Amino acid sequence: MAGEPFIAPIGVMLASPVTIWILAAVFAVVAGAALVIAGLSLTGAAAPAMRRELRLRLLSWCWLLPLMFGPVLAGRVWTIAAVTALGLLCFREYARATGLFRDWVIIGAVLLGVLAVNFAVLDHWYGFFVALWPLTVGVIAIASIPVDRPAGYIQRSALGVFGYMLFGAGLAHLGYMANDPGYRPILLMLMATVALSDVAAFTFGKLIGGPKLLPATSPNKSVAGALGALATTTAVVAFLAAAVFQGTNMDKPHWLVCFGLIVGIAAQAGDLMLSSIKRDIGIKDMGVTLPGHGGVLDRFNSLLLVAPAAFHFIGYFVGFGLQQPTRLITGG
Amino acid sequence: MMDWQLKPARDLGLSGRDRLRSLSREPGLPAAAIAFLWRRLLRGYLALFHGLRVSGVEHLPPPPFVLIANHASHLDALTLSAVLRGAAARRAFVLAAGDTFFTSLPMAAFAAHAINALPIWRRRTRSSDLTTLRMRLLEDRLVLVLFPEGTRSRDGAIARFQPGIGALIAGTAVPVVPCWIEGAFAAWPAQRRLPRPGPLSLRIGAPLRFETAENGRAGWETVATACEAAVGDLAPGA
Repeated sequence: MAGEPFIAPIGVMLASPVTIWILAAVFAVVAGAALVIAGLSLTGAAAPAMRRELRLRLLSWCWLLPLMFGPVLAGRVWTIAAVTALGLLCFREYARATGLFRDWVIIGAVLLGVLAVNFAVLDHWYGFFVALWPLTVGVIAIASIPVDRPAGYIQRSALGVFGYMLFGAGLAHLGYMANDPGYRPILLMLMATVALSDVAAFTFGKLIGGPKLLPATSPNKSVAGALGALATTTAVVAFLAAAVFQGTNMDKPHWLVCFGLIVGIAAQAGDLMLSSIKRDIGIKDMGVTLPGHGGVLDRFNSLLLVAPAAFHFIGYFVGFGLQQPTRLITGG
Repeated sequence: MMDWQLKPARDLGLSGRDRLRSLSREPGLPAAAIAFLWRRLLRGYLALFHGLRVSGVEHLPPPPFVLIANHASHLDALTLSAVLRGAAARRAFVLAAGDTFFTSLPMAAFAAHAINALPIWRRRTRSSDLTTLRMRLLEDRLVLVLFPEGTRSRDGAIARFQPGIGALIAGTAVPVVPCWIEGAFAAWPAQRRLPRPGPLSLRIGAPLRFETAENGRAGWETVATACEAAVGDLAPGA
């Protein structure tokens, strides 16, 4: 907003108790994980390969968490910049994995769309933000026609539209939330609970076992893991949302549970969506950016579908930045 | 049910550092944009400081092809990559000495991004490396710029061509375009750290084809000898 400080003062960063809870919980989990891994190493309980894998993952988290939480705490512009960078990194991995990166015209059209939609977010211009979805699809559809190479037209246009939907229009909803002064606990809640969903699915799956969920799509996921993760995520999201949305129209038990279910289902759906993409192409990971995790997309897949779903559910009851000035850049 | 052609990048799963040195490197739009800007800069430099004159551009076939020349200077690779246009320029890779250009990370990043160089490790080139290049030349319809002498001439005179060029194209329909570069040795010989201004000229000859050459040691030698003769014939006064 006009006159916003370069980095928000600490009092603004931690204005909501939910922000403090989440930061404390995440810190505790990382510290606990470090202790467990240290214990495993000292007692030699787990296989060396497993220990190495766990250590790599923890190390990645140690620099990834500040990169994720830092911009959200720092302020609106930082958050939007981080979401833009995340969208570009994810799109790059997607384009290289699907082979779309060879179609420079489509890549250019999608990049233009991703930058434009995040500009609309920064400008706080909801009309343009929404309009960019059909407009960018139009640009992608037109972009490769002048090349006069109809072979593969549907494939490259569809891959472009899908990419823009996921990493441009979809992900930009996360940035748009930052136009509301109370965005910090909401974004932290979504990022933390989506990660929790992954961990819970893994843990319940290992503890209970049982039938596989979708063996052809993702051989390591079990029904027990999926249900356990959904129950955990729903409960935690509902609990945190009750504190964040206290006194609003959303503050009813059934709506809070509904919100939790939406986040929980969308998180797992995002994960399965990326699994389907990888299986279709025939690759294991999208990249090697994050040791122990794979590519950036392997880490952030669960957030892709959560972003628009959570945005519009909250938007229905509460809205984002409705009291804030709009068209900050284009408004003159 | 539709079967789509989903072909991941050949260098998928490599770290950034490994990608720079990989023969499977495939540039995307950002890398292509950097290479485009670099090419523009290079053309300006070659015109301004070396008055580069080019003859025989009409001999350049559509990709894929292999562009070869005599080698006496770092200016050679720059000159050859600067004269390519359109699809040929976008698909051009320069085969560069790994020990010179790919040992330090900043140099490797420059070589890979600006000139689109691929490393060839002298005296320890594996046959799998040549197989990869041969396959990519055909499948990706590349333009490979290379210097069959294997190193820069220390006195400006042309040296024997190595048989590696044969291993890339013997028995394929990929044409080899011979070139002669004049003036590069005087402007930037191996003994100097930086180039000095001086006239440069490039003569591009008619393409050679080796479809019937045997893809084996004897065939490769035949190809190398024929290429050496064709390049030598373009020399002024030859």
